[in-house]
Amino acid sequence: MTGFRSAAGIPLQPFYAPADKALDYSAIGDPGTYPFTRGRLRPPHAGSGGWIQRELSGEGSPRRSNEQFRSLLAHGALGIDVIGDNPTMSALDPDHPMCVPAVGTTGVSLCRKRDFIELLADIPLDRITLSHSLPPAFAIAGQYLAARDSGLDPAVLRGSAIQPPLYSEDCSYSTFLPFGIRMRLTLDSIAFSLREMPRFHAFLEDTYYISDGGLNVVEEMSLGLLEIREVCRRLIARGLPVDSFAPRIAILVNCRMDLFEEIAKIRATRRLFARMMREEFGAADPRSWSANIAVHSSGLALTAAQPANNIVRGAVQALAMAMAGVQGLEISTFDEPFRTPSDIAHQLAIRTQQIIQAETNVSAVQDPLGGSWYLESLTDELESRIDTAVRQMEKLGDAGTLVESGYFRDIFTNAMDRHSSAVQQGEMRIVGVTEHVVPPEADRFLRDVAEVRFEPDYAHVERILSWRRRRADGPLRASLDRVRAASANPDADLMAPIVAALDADATIGEITGCLREGQGLPSDPFEFAAQSPVAEARR
Amino acid sequence: MTDATGRRAGRVVIGTLGLDQHEVGAMAISQLLVRHGYEVVYLGRFNTPQRLVTVAAQEDADIVGVSVHSWEFVAYADELLARCGDLGIGLIFGGSVLTAQDRSDLLARGADAVFGPYASEDDMLRQIAAIVDRVRASPAEARAADACAADARATRESAAGPLSGRVFIVTGAARGLGRAYTRELCRQGAAVVANDVDEAELKEAASAVGDGPGRVHPVACDITDAQAPRVLLDAALRRYGQLHGLVSNAGLLRSGPILQLGDDDLRLVLDVHVTATFRLLRVIGGYWRAEAKAGRAVGAAVVLTTSAAGLYGFRAEAAYSAVKAAVAMLTQVAADELGRYQATVNAIAPAARTRLTGWLGDGPGGPDRDSWAPEHVAPVVAWLLGPAAREITGRVIEVGNGQISVPGSWRPGTAYPLPPLMSPAQARTLLPQVLASAGPLPGLLTPDTALSDRSGLPRPEQERPPAS
Repeated sequence: MTGFRSAAGIPLQPFYAPADKALDYSAIGDPGTYPFTRGRLRPPHAGSGGWIQRELSGEGSPRRSNEQFRSLLAHGALGIDVIGDNPTMSALDPDHPMCVPAVGTTGVSLCRKRDFIELLADIPLDRITLSHSLPPAFAIAGQYLAARDSGLDPAVLRGSAIQPPLYSEDCSYSTFLPFGIRMRLTLDSIAFSLREMPRFHAFLEDTYYISDGGLNVVEEMSLGLLEIREVCRRLIARGLPVDSFAPRIAILVNCRMDLFEEIAKIRATRRLFARMMREEFGAADPRSWSANIAVHSSGLALTAAQPANNIVRGAVQALAMAMAGVQGLEISTFDEPFRTPSDIAHQLAIRTQQIIQAETNVSAVQDPLGGSWYLESLTDELESRIDTAVRQMEKLGDAGTLVESGYFRDIFTNAMDRHSSAVQQGEMRIVGVTEHVVPPEADRFLRDVAEVRFEPDYAHVERILSWRRRRADGPLRASLDRVRAASANPDADLMAPIVAALDADATIGEITGCLREGQGLPSDPFEFAAQSPVAEARR
Repeated sequence: MTDATGRRAGRVVIGTLGLDQHEVGAMAISQLLVRHGYEVVYLGRFNTPQRLVTVAAQEDADIVGVSVHSWEFVAYADELLARCGDLGIGLIFGGSVLTAQDRSDLLARGADAVFGPYASEDDMLRQIAAIVDRVRASPAEARAADACAADARATRESAAGPLSGRVFIVTGAARGLGRAYTRELCRQGAAVVANDVDEAELKEAASAVGDGPGRVHPVACDITDAQAPRVLLDAALRRYGQLHGLVSNAGLLRSGPILQLGDDDLRLVLDVHVTATFRLLRVIGGYWRAEAKAGRAVGAAVVLTTSAAGLYGFRAEAAYSAVKAAVAMLTQVAADELGRYQATVNAIAPAARTRLTGWLGDGPGGPDRDSWAPEHVAPVVAWLLGPAAREITGRVIEVGNGQISVPGSWRPGTAYPLPPLMSPAQARTLLPQVLASAGPLPGLLTPDTALSDRSGLPRPEQERPPAS
């Protein structure tokens, strides 16, 4: 095989000419018009383009993370993206014995109402968007209670919460809950948000976290669209009109280093989403057709070798995404291979976005690459490949069964193996890794920042332990009983009892334990670890 | 598994520590090692040092490999180094967050190797091979003595028995046959995830297994719940790290002639015997397929439950006979389908005194005096799940009341040419001829014939048990 291929394996020609791509402009359309290839519907008051500039944040206790938010906003960030530490992402409390060594080291520790209040203290929630990379029901409940506590009407809240019912267990966001409960949490939290926080995107389809283990763009977007379709069908089956929730769907995608393929992916996704919503789900409101897409640039594309090179990678990815016309952007910072972002890395990433926005004039014209024979050809090809992949997966059976059968887990496992092999065999070129490697003594620049570590936040663990002992017992217990009962009843709403329990000072770990108990499972997912394991596990 | 020189392949236990959920590195390195002839005992996420090392001891592994993507490893490193040192086995760390400083620290404290991001495969494989050599070269007596000192020894001793180290799911385990199977599997050293809808009775059954070398983990849930197979599989994987077999035994009876059996009863009988069994095969088979595709086929075994009613029909039990016939055919097709993932699928047609055979009346008490006691069936199930039956698949074994046999199955009859667009006159001539060639229809079972040795049923001479 000679000739180049895209990262997803699409054969590429040396150059593209009119004969290769007869442009049918009616199938492309103007920006802001169906099928939205060239950009989404813009509200009439929108200015001259631009996107929400934000960076992944959250570190240590809620108070420390709050300081981080303020620092980012002071640097000019226009939104906040918050991620929990490993215990929080697992819906476990920081004082659980398995959790203590991980408290606050990879994100913020959150387990109770007061944590959300401290996290968001004096953050202008009525003016900025808050994107949650947290277990969604708790993220929405926490933000709702924090807003209410500060006297803010939850109806003004904007932002998003990732909904990962199909893939979380296989992609590092395990909350140890069965599929049925994960799906109910998704549907109930979306319904709650539509009622209480109508400007909030409670259905953020996050294809970043599922794809950054080596998936290609076709795998990424087909899995993403599959999950969107599954959740949409279930929302409709509950009696929600598609136009009541579709405008509140957003997608957070990955951006790797094959820039044209990534731009084409976003254009193809906008078109696929528009067609799906209008033609399959029967949406009539143009806001339902127009996909809201934000991007998190790939952490896998970054290297621990020569970390300063990552600043360049982040910049070219951000430039490509600006040209793709995304609504929000987070750059994986140069120290990502080592840690959650340091202060200086945060500042550099925000400055990168600001330079692209303010100095390059790149967002003055929408879809500046539209009409390129190459890009339009790639967009069509990706649209077709993604669509085919979705249909093939839907033919295999219902999504819940595919989850149970390990079908998706196979995809994720094979992707990382494929990525490693491609790098080892030199098929994938990475500067500083497969070529232009320097000896360790010559690779010191920025390591003093990137390699700095901090201790788990033991003080926060102590704070939670002493607070737990002083809580009022009665209302707390009754509220947890209601969570358990709701979990056991497949027709019950989970969100109201969860919000009430969090409000009554129950912790996320306790509430999740009751969700498990309602399903006949042990409250503590590590019950097995407390006892002597007899694990014969030849594989 | 041995290599061309007859040497046992290197064996590596791999997992992540604590709440470090980023498993992709562990999976990728496992696949690499398997491709290069290693045996990998994959423990996935949520491990403690104790779990990793206990399994390594039990598995007689050469190396523990930890994939690191969060700083939690710092908190666990000392304990892990000490435990691996006690056992004299190798310890390797690998992962993207490991810096040059980590590497020198961990090596200085006794780790055998530390690999950072994008470490060269050739270099990793060379170092891992050297560690296996070193571990095996250390005096076996010294290693054994160390192992005795560690809690691994207790685990190993407790795992004695022909099924030691094997993990099985048994449904309907609270009473009758399922309870007898669970007890027998444990007696032979297996770990059993025991399931029943009756939680109280299940717990009682689990505790009654006593101190046998195996272990029981009761998981109460309704097997007709769509989530149940996943719950049971998860329980096996979380508690024991693997699953080697399934005994689908849960059953119930709704008796009645066709004209009287209502929809609710019919649905229940179908759900318990057919739908639930099918789902178990789909979910657990899917897991074994994934394991096989990842190069980690476990050599799994399934035992389904059919019945003489499903093979010969039972008077006035149309629903039960039909679902049990379905299970018998499911066994054959599933054996073909799952065979490609190195799983066997057989069925048992037990004759035993259980809640479903109330018409048998009370027995004389105790398996010693009662040939209908479920305890006589259990060793056959254990054999089907064990290493001796790896070549047996798609079979039904009829066992109980002092007899064991393998019934024949449907076979094509004598074929006659079918006249195109046959006329009524031709049909009148041909069909009696065809039916006559099939011989007489065997009689249905009744409580009377079922109690006998079924000599009233046609049984080909060659399938008679040899006289002893």
